[in-house]
Amino acid sequence: MILHLNHTRRDSAVPATSEVVGTLLSLLEEGQLDAAQFARLQIHLDWIQYRQNFREAVTVMRAPEDRDGTALPLEIRIDGRQVAPGSLREPVQRALSPATAERRAGQDRLYLEEFCSFRKSIAWEFNRLYWYRLKEWEQATGREYEQALPGGQSDGHNPQAISDTVADFWTLLKDMESRKQLPEEIFVLEMGVGMGTRAGLWLDRFLDLDHERSTNFYPRLRFLLGDYSLTTLERSRPAVRMHLDLCSFIALDALDPIRTLSFLRHKILHVHASNMYDNLPDEEIVRRDGRIYWVQVRAYLPVADVARIAQLCEVPAAEVAKTVTRLLDVGPECLADASQGAKFWQEVWASLRLEERIVNLEDLRESPFPAELSSSQLEEILRNAPSDLRFHLSSGALESFRNTLPLLHPRGYLQVQDIFVTDLNEYSMGFHGPGKLEGSIVNWVNGTLLREVAERAGYDVHFAPFHYRPGSRTSVLYTTQRE
Amino acid sequence: MTLPILPTTVVGSYSMPSWLERLKTEYFARRISRQELDEIHDTVVKAAIKDQEIAGLDIITDGELRRDNMIDYFIERLPGVQIDRGSKKFYYDFYDSEVVGKIPMASLGLAADFRFLRENTERETKICITGPHSLTKRIRNKFYPSEEALATDIARVLNLELKDLVKAGAKFIQIDEPYYSGFPEDLSWGVGVLNTLVEGVEARIALHVCYGNRYGKPSWAGSYQYLFPRILDAKVQQLSLEFARRGGEDLELFRKFPAPFELGVGVIDVKTEDIETPDIVAARIRKAAQVIPPERMLVLPDCGLFHLPRNVAFAKLRAMVQGAKIVRQELGR
Repeated sequence: MILHLNHTRRDSAVPATSEVVGTLLSLLEEGQLDAAQFARLQIHLDWIQYRQNFREAVTVMRAPEDRDGTALPLEIRIDGRQVAPGSLREPVQRALSPATAERRAGQDRLYLEEFCSFRKSIAWEFNRLYWYRLKEWEQATGREYEQALPGGQSDGHNPQAISDTVADFWTLLKDMESRKQLPEEIFVLEMGVGMGTRAGLWLDRFLDLDHERSTNFYPRLRFLLGDYSLTTLERSRPAVRMHLDLCSFIALDALDPIRTLSFLRHKILHVHASNMYDNLPDEEIVRRDGRIYWVQVRAYLPVADVARIAQLCEVPAAEVAKTVTRLLDVGPECLADASQGAKFWQEVWASLRLEERIVNLEDLRESPFPAELSSSQLEEILRNAPSDLRFHLSSGALESFRNTLPLLHPRGYLQVQDIFVTDLNEYSMGFHGPGKLEGSIVNWVNGTLLREVAERAGYDVHFAPFHYRPGSRTSVLYTTQRE
Repeated sequence: MTLPILPTTVVGSYSMPSWLERLKTEYFARRISRQELDEIHDTVVKAAIKDQEIAGLDIITDGELRRDNMIDYFIERLPGVQIDRGSKKFYYDFYDSEVVGKIPMASLGLAADFRFLRENTERETKICITGPHSLTKRIRNKFYPSEEALATDIARVLNLELKDLVKAGAKFIQIDEPYYSGFPEDLSWGVGVLNTLVEGVEARIALHVCYGNRYGKPSWAGSYQYLFPRILDAKVQQLSLEFARRGGEDLELFRKFPAPFELGVGVIDVKTEDIETPDIVAARIRKAAQVIPPERMLVLPDCGLFHLPRNVAFAKLRAMVQGAKIVRQELGR
């Protein structure tokens, strides 16, 4: 058995670790776990960063039967944060039972979908619903999105950081002007503007700097604010009210900005996004025993929660699954009383869990890789990575990134502030999502893969730690032209 | 062989298959041999020639598929240029290179590439070489007093190479100088170096200037205004420029500065996978014909097709050929 202690907290690691080892040894001695199973067992004991996530305290991940009868990987993941002292034996025993999955169908879990790639899971439909109906969610919880962020505000709104990025941009413009390369119209794109706070601060600072230095760049600025929908964008309008003459509000698919903005191909000098990549659909890959496995998930609600939600929201228990489908179609109006619907939404989201299994990549009918990344590229990237690894593919972030680069002017650059994994070895040291942040999903972004994709697209990618707030986990990705 | 009016050709490169990219990188990682790679190159060049013929092009190149990029193929052959062979991670990366002494005169051996092309097609052929200005911009100069001096010596070596190509039967040679657009201030000496390069070369010489196509994206932006009037001193017979992606505004420059050259008009945008229709191509040719007589015009893509998938590159060439046919019919030629 291999026990991985990942990102454990000092005060909880010792008792939890002792309990894991003790529990497994006693199950072995009692014959409830055979020696072969024990030998290939891998246990990951994590202190999960996101208190709200999609896991139960003990989660088992199985691989389907292998064609050549090779020993199958088996992994148990334990969330150190959810484990109460002395409570591990029963869930571990249950997780190891071969009949568990079958027994659970219709008994202790209400499945909401078939196994699928995480990216296709309904978890992301909940995420989409949240951004489209943010207002209703906030009304129901009485709390705005940003209040849920660590520190109560987005790092993207830090005034000093904004001031520095404005200064950098101004320097670029000045250089281009001196070389007679500055276009008549200076296009800037802010993606995922939210309440528009950063856009407003950025424009205020740019205007001030332009006045201070008498450069008259401001009137040539064309500032594009992009987000999910015009309704969302409407919320950002007050923050930029002093600059409306040069602002355009554009409903944008974050995964494919070039589709909406093709008329600006090679024309935008600065593209910025903060806290956006971590919220784009993702998938995960496992490398073990020299093979690549795809992680598939199946969303479910624990039956105990179904009963509770049914009673709380006055929905027949047998109707909960159907009502979830309706919720994802029409929002809180899935129930006659929309405020009750909003409550149903929050309760279902809080209880939503993901069961996992892994599938050998060779057994998938179609290549699941996004267009931006080939399997051979991935092989090359993994050449120097740890042999036993589970990591994010960050396919949504890759897609968005690749579909944003063509917008950049030859002197333009992209900046993305987010939580990045910049070295694949980091995946051996901790859990990096997905977690739940209010009604949305939050995930660390695989910066290593972004760097690789960028190189093939003609850009070098750099990551600068965000030093404006001590303890911040975010960093800033920025691109430079690759020679 | 007589060319039709509005002859069609490529700028130089044809689609680089991703599997060939992997094999080239395997070669740099020493996992396949030079001999194996040469055999692979011969095969893909034949395929590229055949694709151009099927698409209906009038003037054919070898697709430049032997080349890693537009720089390294030349500097690794240039005597006196020192290369750090460990500096490539991916085959397409540029080598780190420097010159620490005077560049001696020696052959680069490009005639062999041309002969291979000639042996594998009955059509008119063209061979393209990267010009001395662009090469100079990628070599760290530790010997010459100026970039101009380095570029001039490179031009002298390449001049012998062009003459070798002519001896091997080359009638149409294209010089690629995209770095002009990144360093317009160099044009004052760049044209002189170009003239050194082509001096005494008995072939039809084209000069291709674009805004860069590295990684399939532009490296610079601006207007061809910077070329004028200095470029009019260039001793070339044809100027090939990109107009499809950038729009045809710069065509007006040829009204203002009547040029002694034929104009190679870029009518295919190589930086998008959207495939032009023959009608779009025809409209772009007609627009150019308002400032340059069709008799002095060639039809080609904006730049090389290197970064486009093969099916896209082929479809674009077909559309280009059909668009040229539409205009020829309108002209009754």
